[in-house]
Amino acid sequence: MTSAQLEIQLIGAIVAIACAIPGTFLVLRKMAMISDAISHSILPGIVLGFFITQDLNSPLLILLAALTGVITVILVEFIQKTGLVKEDTAIGLVFPALFSIGVILIAKNANDVHLDIDAVLLGELAFAPFDRLVVDGMDIGPKSLWVIGSILLITLTLLLLFFKELKLSTFDKGLAATLGFSPAILHYGLMTISSVTVVGAFDAVGAVLVVALIIAPAATAYLLTDNLKHMLFLSCCFGIFAAIAGYWLANVLDASIAGSMSTVLGIVFLLVYLFAPKQGVFSVFFKERQQRKEVSLLVFLLHLQNHQEAEERHVNHLREHINWQKVQAKTVLELASKNNLIYISDNIVSLTDKGQEFTDEALLYITTNKVTAIEELKERFFLFRG
Amino acid sequence: MKDRLPAIRIDDLTVAYDYKPVLWDIDLIIPEGVLMAIVGPNGAGKSTLIKSILGIIKPIAGSVQVFGQPYKKQVDKVAYVPQKGSVDWDFPTTALDVVMMGTYGSLGWIKRPGQKEKKLALEALEKVGMLEFKNRQISQLSGGQQQRIFLARALVQNAAIYLMDEPFQGVDATTEKAIINILKELRKAGKTLIVVHHDLQTVPEYFDWVTFLNVKGIASGPVKDIFNDDNLTKTYGINYKVAVNQ
Repeated sequence: MTSAQLEIQLIGAIVAIACAIPGTFLVLRKMAMISDAISHSILPGIVLGFFITQDLNSPLLILLAALTGVITVILVEFIQKTGLVKEDTAIGLVFPALFSIGVILIAKNANDVHLDIDAVLLGELAFAPFDRLVVDGMDIGPKSLWVIGSILLITLTLLLLFFKELKLSTFDKGLAATLGFSPAILHYGLMTISSVTVVGAFDAVGAVLVVALIIAPAATAYLLTDNLKHMLFLSCCFGIFAAIAGYWLANVLDASIAGSMSTVLGIVFLLVYLFAPKQGVFSVFFKERQQRKEVSLLVFLLHLQNHQEAEERHVNHLREHINWQKVQAKTVLELASKNNLIYISDNIVSLTDKGQEFTDEALLYITTNKVTAIEELKERFFLFRG
Repeated sequence: MKDRLPAIRIDDLTVAYDYKPVLWDIDLIIPEGVLMAIVGPNGAGKSTLIKSILGIIKPIAGSVQVFGQPYKKQVDKVAYVPQKGSVDWDFPTTALDVVMMGTYGSLGWIKRPGQKEKKLALEALEKVGMLEFKNRQISQLSGGQQQRIFLARALVQNAAIYLMDEPFQGVDATTEKAIINILKELRKAGKTLIVVHHDLQTVPEYFDWVTFLNVKGIASGPVKDIFNDDNLTKTYGINYKVAVNQ
């Protein structure tokens, strides 16, 4: 691996972490799409900043562009507050307007501005190592690494200082306000950090793909944990993974690095969405199937308990009486006998002592509406689950 | 009693959303140590009144004083239990953590909660009978349990005044009894409790003070004196008969 390759992955990983942290809070605040608005509308800020500073990595340019991001948020809120349009419409009105001003500015001054539309949309991580920061004649690394590194450092410091306040105002704005933590300050603080991050990441991944880096890691982590700190940590991990895996995917496919990073993020999300242990699509499907089977089993056991007479407990009668199809009746019977809850002699089904005990206790919990106790009961009695 | 400041004093309060008055010229004095219900039909401005006391909503006229001073100077004396539906229960956090949030006000900015705050939160959880659920993710709690968590969060604030927005909404009878017992205990300890309430039948049983509200203030005073068909009819606009004082 050459040092340029290493640098690209490092920049990618740091961009990903810097995006994942505000992204986690944006996702929890249901404001994910505001990052889309910011990432587009900072363009005029970048172009204007470039006219003034002539340097894409100048801190002044970053601040100017970030200011455009915050203005976007204010404009969206202003339009929304009139009550004439909804928030999503307001976002859709503001950012294309600002973005198109940026596009026109670039087109009009194409000769002066070292920016083209492709790079604006998709970024170009591959060129990042060529622009070096030289201090006293010494090369201390790519400029963009220093820029995004500084932004990450600021973000991390603010996160450590104001984690409690951010958590509170994200979960319960009303309580935050009554406890004296101004939700407005925290809101615009988060918007400012998001804007600065987006500007810093813009060079590397562009206006469209930066949204993927903000939203996808947080959305993926959200499916895996119910602890905010873990969610932040997991978001960062997914971001780093996407940066490194994306780089090598781009290498193999000879394609855009930012595009590959986003693709990796999309795939990771899809996998987690399908296979997450608690909330994944498959896990939910199997859990529901298991629950259906176990509810049927309970119905069956209650029926046995209710009827002492032999003809009510005949295998064939059960099938007709409870109105189950053959397959379902068979699985339920099997599940019950595997767990030693019933025994069958001469095609007459009876509860075992264990089955009797289980049914009595379950009945008690059903009548007193203690659903969680039934789950614990199953844990105690079942050798096999449905 | 005469020289004591009322817990809350509201003068000429008017609140409007988009020029439509929601609360109109409210004058209200809430003495210290009462357990008070705010009753009134939907859209009467009950929640708005509570939010105006807390300064969450800015009035277009009038003033609110908490123990003789503006709310901003008395933040630590007031605890607020919002409506359960006002937050996203899918938020990645546990019951204990939500209750700990009640201590943030006394911590102030930047300072993190520590062992002392955790102990307070655990005590509050115990008081509302939720200790065994302390590590449960909040979306895994039933509606009644979520309401108890909110109550516990207000308890750790150890305030003098508790403002509650429909704490009995969507909870079962057991939880309702448990909550009202805690409220009565708080009143015994000298706290002032202001509760937005919907079930008129239980007003005489639960509360000792009542405020009738329908955009304008209709009446406010001891339940035994003013909770009658006359005031109910004035508030709800129909000829209201409720079994009172039986």
